[in-house]
Amino acid sequence: MTGLSSLHLDALTEIFNVGAGRAASSLSDIVGDEVKLSVPSIEIVRPDDVDGRLLAQSDGKFSAISQHFSGPFDADAVLLFTEETTLEIVRDMMGSQMSIDEVADFEQEAMCELGNIILNACLSAMADMLGITMDSSLPSYKVESLQDIVGRITESCDQPYILLLHIDLAIEKRHTEGHLIFLLSSASLNNLVTQIQRFIDGM
Amino acid sequence: MNTTELGRFDVEALCNAVNLGLIIVDADGNILLWNDWIIKRSAIGEADALNAQFADVFSEQLSPAFLTAIKNGLTYGLPSVLSNALHRSPLPLYDNAEMQQAGIRIHQSITITPLRCRLGERCCLIQVADSSTAIRREKVLRSHSETLRLETITDSMTGIYNRRFFDEHYKIALAHAKRQSHPLSVFVVDVDHFKEYNDYYHHLAGDRALRQVAAALKSQLARATDVVARYGGEEFVLILPSLSTQSAADFAEKLRCAVLDLAIPHSKSSVSDLLTVSIGFCTFVPNTDCDPCELLHTADAALYRAKKNGRNQAVSFPLARPENKQMQVKSDLTLP
Repeated sequence: MTGLSSLHLDALTEIFNVGAGRAASSLSDIVGDEVKLSVPSIEIVRPDDVDGRLLAQSDGKFSAISQHFSGPFDADAVLLFTEETTLEIVRDMMGSQMSIDEVADFEQEAMCELGNIILNACLSAMADMLGITMDSSLPSYKVESLQDIVGRITESCDQPYILLLHIDLAIEKRHTEGHLIFLLSSASLNNLVTQIQRFIDGM
Repeated sequence: MNTTELGRFDVEALCNAVNLGLIIVDADGNILLWNDWIIKRSAIGEADALNAQFADVFSEQLSPAFLTAIKNGLTYGLPSVLSNALHRSPLPLYDNAEMQQAGIRIHQSITITPLRCRLGERCCLIQVADSSTAIRREKVLRSHSETLRLETITDSMTGIYNRRFFDEHYKIALAHAKRQSHPLSVFVVDVDHFKEYNDYYHHLAGDRALRQVAAALKSQLARATDVVARYGGEEFVLILPSLSTQSAADFAEKLRCAVLDLAIPHSKSSVSDLLTVSIGFCTFVPNTDCDPCELLHTADAALYRAKKNGRNQAVSFPLARPENKQMQVKSDLTLP
């Protein structure tokens, strides 16, 4: 099927949790309170299934921060801000009161940075643990429907599968909790599997 | 642009011509490029900057976010953005000496991208944009849009929220109550015999009375989450989260008394010598199978009962369970 076994997924979960830890420490520095990030699960899904799974949690449009990565394997990573609470966290960080439609220019820039911190932390953890280097585009921000996002990241690759990560975010002191979705679509999933296998073999 | 074309330009002149701060740092953190834009705003000359450690070139330490971003660029080849909203002015850069004296830095948006040098080593390009103008423009636009928004959601006669705002807020409050499993109460308040009041005391007095009632209802709200709006004509609606059934009943009574305490004479009322209100209310209690979407209808039906029962009173209906929804009384309140 995808070539990714449950052992591979466990290894990926570990990698992404290391990344989440790095992102949390960066975010804590910015927010000034302890931010907790964790990746409870990773799934391999078909693009068609992404709709149902995610729309159960939120409807309408998502704030999407995208970066394109290239290296031993190419990947499109998109971080989706799903629930209102996540937006509240961003607003909390910026002290703003605007609604999602009104997220103004410089707040979009802040959303970009927030996504950039999490995506970079995950990818740098991956680079460290898999012993690879990746190049990346700058993050871009867009408000999109889920169909558009999935369509966009699967368009350029012939792989019928997407990695779907759930990320929980919490700032305990402020009683805020949020949930992010991280979609990773790779045009060279086989290469990713090879890298992970090497990592597992090396352990 | 191929290399021959690029050869026709002086790259140094190009770097100094752009209206953007450009700094290049090598893998060891040494500064390779320090353009005129940065020189002018940092008051640090090229001679002092070139080959110096970027982390030490300014008189103060760089923020952890800045250091992480540079590390991501140099070690992992990952680009970073430092947004103005989250960092404001990470580098000690000033418009002029006067501003530097006053300690007023320029607003900055910073982009850090990895850069491959000719020798193959990884360097890091730091671009600093002055976002002060954008911020100023944004502030003006925002204040305009807030003024306009306030106008579209305010009832011009009473100064409280209008129906447009309530309808919007009602949907959000319902979704929130369902998701967070907290109670939600809706109160519909109608001035008794208002048509008679208007006919007898005339419209100007009628308008004044409505303004007083609106203010009296509003004065009973203590929390930021509580909302009162003019629903239409002489009808008002209030929505309050997290009240127990008993607190909701107490609150309804407080509303009724607040209007009565205004002591507005109403000699054409069948209920009292003073202007009174009838109130219908309903509370959604979480963890029951009731659908809070029926809150407003049920409160309306309770108001109808309060009118039937003789006015100047508050009546509560429980939220109908799905199976006996059809038994719910339909309100026949008409708005003028």
